[in-house]
Amino acid sequence: MKKPRTLVVLLAALIVALAIAAADIVVVKIQTTQLRKNPQFFAPTVVALKAGDKLEKMSEANGWIQVKTTAGLVGWVHSSAVGTSKFALTAANKDMKTQATASEVALAAKGFNKQVEDSYRAKHAEANFAAVEAMLLIKVSLAQIEDFLKKGLLGDFRGVK
Amino acid sequence: MKTQASRILGILVMVGALLTPSPASFGQLGGVLSKVKKTADDAKKVVEVGQKLRSGFSDITEEEEYYIGRSVAAMILSKYPVYQNAPLNQYVNLVGNAVTVYSDRPEIYAGYHFQVLDTEEVNALAAPGGLIFVSKGLLRRCQDEEMLGLILAHEIGHVAAKHGLQAIKKSRLTEVFTSLGIQAAQQFGPQELAQLTTMFEGVLSDIVEQLVERGYSRASEYEADGLAVTYGIRTGFDPKGIVRFLQTMVGDKSAASGKGWFKTHPTPEQRIAGLNKQIAAFGEGPQIEDARTKRFQQVFSGLK
Repeated sequence: MKKPRTLVVLLAALIVALAIAAADIVVVKIQTTQLRKNPQFFAPTVVALKAGDKLEKMSEANGWIQVKTTAGLVGWVHSSAVGTSKFALTAANKDMKTQATASEVALAAKGFNKQVEDSYRAKHAEANFAAVEAMLLIKVSLAQIEDFLKKGLLGDFRGVK
Repeated sequence: MKTQASRILGILVMVGALLTPSPASFGQLGGVLSKVKKTADDAKKVVEVGQKLRSGFSDITEEEEYYIGRSVAAMILSKYPVYQNAPLNQYVNLVGNAVTVYSDRPEIYAGYHFQVLDTEEVNALAAPGGLIFVSKGLLRRCQDEEMLGLILAHEIGHVAAKHGLQAIKKSRLTEVFTSLGIQAAQQFGPQELAQLTTMFEGVLSDIVEQLVERGYSRASEYEADGLAVTYGIRTGFDPKGIVRFLQTMVGDKSAASGKGWFKTHPTPEQRIAGLNKQIAAFGEGPQIEDARTKRFQQVFSGLK
C-alpha cells in the first residue's frame, strides 16, 4: 500500500488539472469541415476548417458546438468533427502550447499513416487501391444533398410541398 | 490486487503530470521518461505510459481509421469488381449521404463514399472510415428509396458505432499502441516500419475476416438495425422499408446459403421481429412518398 498522503497530493493535482481543463479547447479531427453560422448542416459557412485547427469551445447544443477560432471568428461545428486532445488541455497555458503541439503532432503522425499504407501496398499488389481512389473521387456536395432532400421531401424539408 | 492499485496510481501520475499547470511539468515528464528508459527493469513503465495514452479501439484516431478503412476497402475491391453505372452509383451516394447528415456521426475524416459492386451476391459491407459497399444483387431486391435508404442506414450505423474497429483483437491493439508509445521519431525507421506493417496486416485481417467471412456479432447487427430505424426516421424515410426488404429474404435459400449479408447476419425472421418492436416504439413515423419512389424507379430502370 502507498502512503495515503501521496494519494491526497495526486488527487489534489487532478482536481487542479480538471479545473484548468474547463477552458475547453477542441481540435478538428477530420480532413476538412466548415465553421457554420448556425448549428445546422445547411447553414452558411463562416470559414473553412482543417484537421488540427484548434477551437475554443463556447457552448453546446444538440450535437453542435459553438466555437471561436484563433482569429476570433465564432460559429458552430458538429461534435463528430472535433475531439478533445489529451494534450490540447495544456494549451490553456501559453508557455506549454508549443510543447503540447509538438507532442501532439508526434503522436498523431505516429499511428497508421500514409507511410504504413505505402509499405503495405509494396507487399500487397493484389489490394485494389486504384478502385479505392476512384471511389473517393465520387463526391456529393452539401448543396446536392440539400437539393436531393428538398425534392424527396426529406430531413429538414419533410412535408414542405 | 497490487497490480490494480499500482495501475490506478500510474494513471493518476500520468494524468497529474500531463495536466498540472506548471510550464515545467511537461519537461519534467520528458526528463522522468528518459531516466526511466535507462534501466532495463523500468523500461516496462514506459510501455505502460504508452498504453495509458491509448488502450482501446475508441483511441484509434480518425486518420488511422481512415487508413485502416482504405486498406480494408482495397481488399474488398480486389474480391469484387465495381459495377459501372455512374447514374446509379451517384444516386446511391446521394441517398447514403442524405442519411449520414441525420446519423450520429455525420462528419468523418474523408467523408462517406458508397460503391455498387458487380455481383449477384446479396451483400452490403461497411469498411471503417465510411467506405460503404452494396451489391447489385442486393439492389435488385429494393423496390423503393425507403428500402435502399434503410439498408444504407444500417451500414452507416456499423460505421458510427465503429463495429469494424471493434473486430480488432484486443491483444493486437495493445501491441500496436505499445509499439507506438515507445518510439520517439515522427518518421518510422525501416525496422519499425516493417514491424508496424506486420501489425497493420494483422489489424486488416481481423476486420476483413469479420466483415466478409464470419460476420459481426448478433448484438452488433441488432444495434445496427436499431440505428437504421433511428437514422431512417430522422432522415424522413418510412422505417418499414428495412422490414419489407428483409421479407424478400425470408425462406430464400439461395441468399442464405451464399456468402453475403444473410449468411453473416441473424436470420431475416429474427431481425424482422426485433425491427417491428423498435419501429412501433417510435409511434407514427414518416410515410413512403411518390416523389422518392419515382426518382428511384427512374435510376433503377438502368440496373442490368
